[in-house]
Amino acid sequence: MSPALVVLIIGILVPFIILISLSMWTRDGFGFDMTPTFENYQRVGTEPIFSTLLARSFWISGIATFFTVLLCYPMAYYVAFHVHRNKMLWIVLMTLPFWTSYLLRVFAWRVILGYEGVINSAFLSMGWIQAPLEFLLYSQTAVIITLAHAWAAFAILPLYVSLEKIDKSLLEAATDLGDGPVRRFLRITLPLSLPGVISACFLIFIPTTGDYITPALLGGPDGVMIGNLIQLQFGPVNNWPMGAALSIVLMLWIGALALVFLFITRKAKDRLA
Amino acid sequence: MDVIDQLNAVKRGKLSRRAFQQSLLGLGIGVMATPFMPSRAMAQGDQGTLFTWGGYDVPDLFGAYEAKNGALPNFAVFGGAEDALTRLRGGFVADVVHPCNADLIRWVDSGYFQPIDTSRLSNWDDVMPELAAMAGNKSETGAPWMVPFDWGGTSVTYRTDLVELEGEESWDILWDERYAGQIGMLASGGDAWWSAAIKVGVPFDQINTDDAFERISAALREQRPLVRVYTDDVTTLGQALSSGELVAAMTWNSTAVELQYEEIPVRFAQPKEGALTWVCGLMMHRDAPNPERAYEIIDAMLSVEAGEFMIGAYGYGHSNRKSFETFTDEELQGLGLSANPKEILDAGHFSIPQGQEWESRMNETYELIKAGF
Repeated sequence: MSPALVVLIIGILVPFIILISLSMWTRDGFGFDMTPTFENYQRVGTEPIFSTLLARSFWISGIATFFTVLLCYPMAYYVAFHVHRNKMLWIVLMTLPFWTSYLLRVFAWRVILGYEGVINSAFLSMGWIQAPLEFLLYSQTAVIITLAHAWAAFAILPLYVSLEKIDKSLLEAATDLGDGPVRRFLRITLPLSLPGVISACFLIFIPTTGDYITPALLGGPDGVMIGNLIQLQFGPVNNWPMGAALSIVLMLWIGALALVFLFITRKAKDRLA
Repeated sequence: MDVIDQLNAVKRGKLSRRAFQQSLLGLGIGVMATPFMPSRAMAQGDQGTLFTWGGYDVPDLFGAYEAKNGALPNFAVFGGAEDALTRLRGGFVADVVHPCNADLIRWVDSGYFQPIDTSRLSNWDDVMPELAAMAGNKSETGAPWMVPFDWGGTSVTYRTDLVELEGEESWDILWDERYAGQIGMLASGGDAWWSAAIKVGVPFDQINTDDAFERISAALREQRPLVRVYTDDVTTLGQALSSGELVAAMTWNSTAVELQYEEIPVRFAQPKEGALTWVCGLMMHRDAPNPERAYEIIDAMLSVEAGEFMIGAYGYGHSNRKSFETFTDEELQGLGLSANPKEILDAGHFSIPQGQEWESRMNETYELIKAGF
């Protein structure tokens, strides 16, 4: 057996099998009843809390992904096409804020969005508002803003790589054949950078769906996501099998959504090309 | 636990969580991490570890310990006792842990603790015996499982300038629709559930009936749209009360006392239905890697200096009766304390330990309610 295979088996396959078998057991006081059953999965399918939180997680992380890619695309574009010296330095500078701990950045957003935070104090002192805006913190908006910022580095890098790879002579050819800047972007640059867009979307969507710390610190009662529910199963609720079942359901859903997304982008790419 | 036991457990279709953890270890996940652990402990200068609530990881409580060892103990912090127990079950080992009276019996049953040899504690003779005599605290040898350390109440801290009382102080402040979106709640069921029981008038000896379950969850459900944040982080609640983001919140004594020192107009209510009262204490892990230091941690926390800090800075009661001597009766009254803890504890409601089934069911229901279901 090759070493890579051993690592794969110990690091991925074995834990996965443990997770699957755990999800088919039931809680029994502080131990487990090991009779296999699909009861946990049935509960995920029937009880409204699970489907609601799953849907909310996909919604929040979908929007966060959309905005992250939308905001990072121009930055990556600028470095790829308009910066000619020290490109690496530019990229490093852009990702510099993301070298700090994730937790710190989430906390920083609490300070910005808080009741007496940066935004509210600024608006108050300028007289734009009479009382602090309460929807800024402890809301789904807060979670979306924070996620969109915290994961930006994961969008900039793949976008930059795919934009940088585009053959500049294609753009010149398009101009020679009479395309304006907009048409040129839509027909050449965008389709050729789609692989970067797709991988950026995946890199952000998959981990943010299960994100736990951002909704815990900024979400408030209505911003709870599926990751928090999974954590609770392993914590105070003390139902590890349920937590395992939820993790697997989440995994399957992300897999399915990713396939659909791939399918749609492939269609769109065919159209554009 | 050897392989045969393990296989038998699988054959019977029963596997305890500890056995399960051990199989995880056997599978190499724990093995990967083990080589790093001793070196980490060494790097921290071989101090004892205290697993405690947030806010207790301050030097003021460990003067005697620091004087002797030249450093503070290591701290690990939890937000709720149930969370702490799950982490201990998951294999986390600390020398000393800090649960409360309602947890005691279940914690002892978990088998993770050893009775405490009080002859090794120089301050033991000054510890109030009525606190040490809590239910379930006596081990077979007569030594206590838990050394009482602090006591106090869970109640409502409210802004006197922003909340208009209707009659007497009451738990109803937290259910007042005029303050929708300005109410803060503790996230741990150990406080919220019992307090809601007081508010709806369920006697504590009937808290495990289905009828009580329904009434309490109905009350918490009714309250949920009014709540801005559920958290166990007392700093979050304190800051929100001081800015006016929250006008009232369920807290322990310390939040109100700390805000009063900052001259924020708040009061720690003495609700007409009674507050929820508790006694917390220190327990020693069965496999405490550093028992010597464990006793030093406990002894330092029982000292008069630690007690004066607890009373003066946090407004909590302390278990050492000498700690109260430097405070006048008025000062104690202002903090909602008394040198005679029975007075305070009897005036409130003292939670009754429940079984694991109940505890899990209660936590599950409270989590559902918090999420809006």
